[in-house]
Amino acid sequence: MRVELALFASLRRYLPEGETGHERTIDLPDGTTVGQVIAMLGLPDEPRVVFVNGRHAPDDHVLRDGDRLAVFPPVAGG
Amino acid sequence: MKKIVRIDMSDLSVRTEPLPEKWSRYGGRALTDAIVFSEVPPTADPLGPENKLVFAPGILGGTTAPNGGRLSAGAKSPLTGGIKESNSGGQAAHALAKLGIAALVIEGAPADKDARYLIKVAADGSVELKRVDEWAGAGNYAVSDGIKQMMGDVKRYATISIGPAGEMGMKMAGIAVSDPDGYPNRFLGRGGLGAVMGSKGVKAIVLVDEGLPTVEHADRDAFNAAVKKFAAALREHAVTGQGLPTYGTNVLANIINEAGGYPTRNFSSGRFELVENISGETQREVTLERGGNVKHGCHTGCVIQCSRYWVDKDGNYVTKGPEYESVWSLGADCGIGDLDDVAALDRACGDIGIDTIETGVMLGVYMDSGRLAFGDGKGALRLLEEEIRKGTDLGRILGDGAEATGKAFDVKRIPVVKHQGLPAYDPRPIQGIGVTYATSPMGADHTAGYSITANVLNVGGTVDPLKPDGQAELSKGLQIATGMLDSMGMCIFVAFAVLDIPEAFDAIFEMATAHTGQAWDADALMELGKETLTMERLYNEAIGFKPEDDRLPRFFYEEKLPPHDAVFSVSDADLDSVFDFVPETAAKMGVSKPGA
Repeated sequence: MRVELALFASLRRYLPEGETGHERTIDLPDGTTVGQVIAMLGLPDEPRVVFVNGRHAPDDHVLRDGDRLAVFPPVAGG
Repeated sequence: MKKIVRIDMSDLSVRTEPLPEKWSRYGGRALTDAIVFSEVPPTADPLGPENKLVFAPGILGGTTAPNGGRLSAGAKSPLTGGIKESNSGGQAAHALAKLGIAALVIEGAPADKDARYLIKVAADGSVELKRVDEWAGAGNYAVSDGIKQMMGDVKRYATISIGPAGEMGMKMAGIAVSDPDGYPNRFLGRGGLGAVMGSKGVKAIVLVDEGLPTVEHADRDAFNAAVKKFAAALREHAVTGQGLPTYGTNVLANIINEAGGYPTRNFSSGRFELVENISGETQREVTLERGGNVKHGCHTGCVIQCSRYWVDKDGNYVTKGPEYESVWSLGADCGIGDLDDVAALDRACGDIGIDTIETGVMLGVYMDSGRLAFGDGKGALRLLEEEIRKGTDLGRILGDGAEATGKAFDVKRIPVVKHQGLPAYDPRPIQGIGVTYATSPMGADHTAGYSITANVLNVGGTVDPLKPDGQAELSKGLQIATGMLDSMGMCIFVAFAVLDIPEAFDAIFEMATAHTGQAWDADALMELGKETLTMERLYNEAIGFKPEDDRLPRFFYEEKLPPHDAVFSVSDADLDSVFDFVPETAAKMGVSKPGA
């Protein structure tokens, strides 16, 4: 299945080697979870905010073909 | 002994009195509220002599308390028609506190409407009123330059000023406050307080704090220990220690857009396709490439350092930030996806002296009328410079804000509560902030109870943003805490750390106790927040505000917002529960209605 991946702020540098920008489409085996993608990317072990299709999603959320996965470090402002 | 300095513009007299015992535990918002509540009749014309404009540093103003230099300004608002506290960074709060001034109150109104005054408070506390009629119509940056020339060798002072919008009584006029570099770029933006200042004939205020020490503490060692604890928490928390200093407030653009709550083209969509062009990440890259400053405090003593300067392609200063709210209002809400266009609009707002949020919401509404295309940044700038700054007939309508503009041009979708434009979070997919918009005595104001924390950012717990459950309780707790922080004079961004780190909360009442010598604890902090809100609610009730005024405009309940197709679904009963504590707090305070 194909999933759109977007990494923001300080997490942008964790896009796979050779990638620029902050978004790309990745191929994943069916049944892959959010947590597995995060582990694959080697994201730092710290609090983060994860959205799948614009809704918060826990690490055990199972991704589906065509999903958009967005990961943020802790951010705030206003 | 802290004092209240009163300047009556009717006869140009100055009176100084000690801060009354009954207000000895008040500062910032609590004190501006108390003075307006006690002294401004609810029936007062906001632009008439009965209204009073109050500037107050917080309880911790003038100290080394981290992020404790915020300024409150209070009055009856010409925009909302209710009580208003507008809040700003900049140097003025510390200067007032070092001068021993708990509140500077501008009263009355001059008989000569063409007179313009500069109020100067010297380091020895003496107050001088100087005619500056030649500054009539000047922008805030020109006023700042004029003051600089006038001050000569005196280098340490803070300024408070208005641009032409305030002089013309426009309802979206704000008040500029100088930052640590002297730029008049920090803003008491919301609620039209610039018009109140203009109605009093006051063009600018200079507060000289050269040679003045920080204020003394009841227990210096205990104060310093609490400061250390508080600063450590702010540095430790990922948001206040890393996210905000690195990317500034506009780091929010992407995450609010991702959540589908980034109001676009006058609240017609929750996502903006050009968000990447105006995101905090892009802003940082471009600012660094051009040699701008990407990390400084808006006031002395800030340890978060989320402010920055935008510079043009040649590296020349244009404006501060721009901040998240301004990038949204002047950007996404107008369909404008170019940071240079946004910065030019932000600079024009700063110089003319108009609130960036209300201006952007107004422009979005005007664009929705079909009279200007969404995305036309140059056209928007022309409206600000040629119509509003010059006070043309059109400019005077636009200058009164989003509601006046929407009504004049028959726009269906007018995003306001209590006549004030909604900030940068759509309340349909982020329902907790909708509760704050609907119920805050300030009108639509995100800072009054920043439910984005638990709704989107996973700070201070989590509450599903798309469901109505738990939102009223979330907003209520945050509104009380914010009333307290605004009264302490603390930047509300400390809340991100305070909500997650218990020691940070303890440090606030430890600092207050050590500084004032009064007994403060967790309960006393919350009581301060409740008393602040109670005065505001009772004042608005006396004016005639009803539960129906604590609602969002109908379209938020009816029009589905993409991408989540969300509508606002918090019940009226839940909205009406937010201020259920008011009768009990009022009884404890021994007040029932405004007046002495």
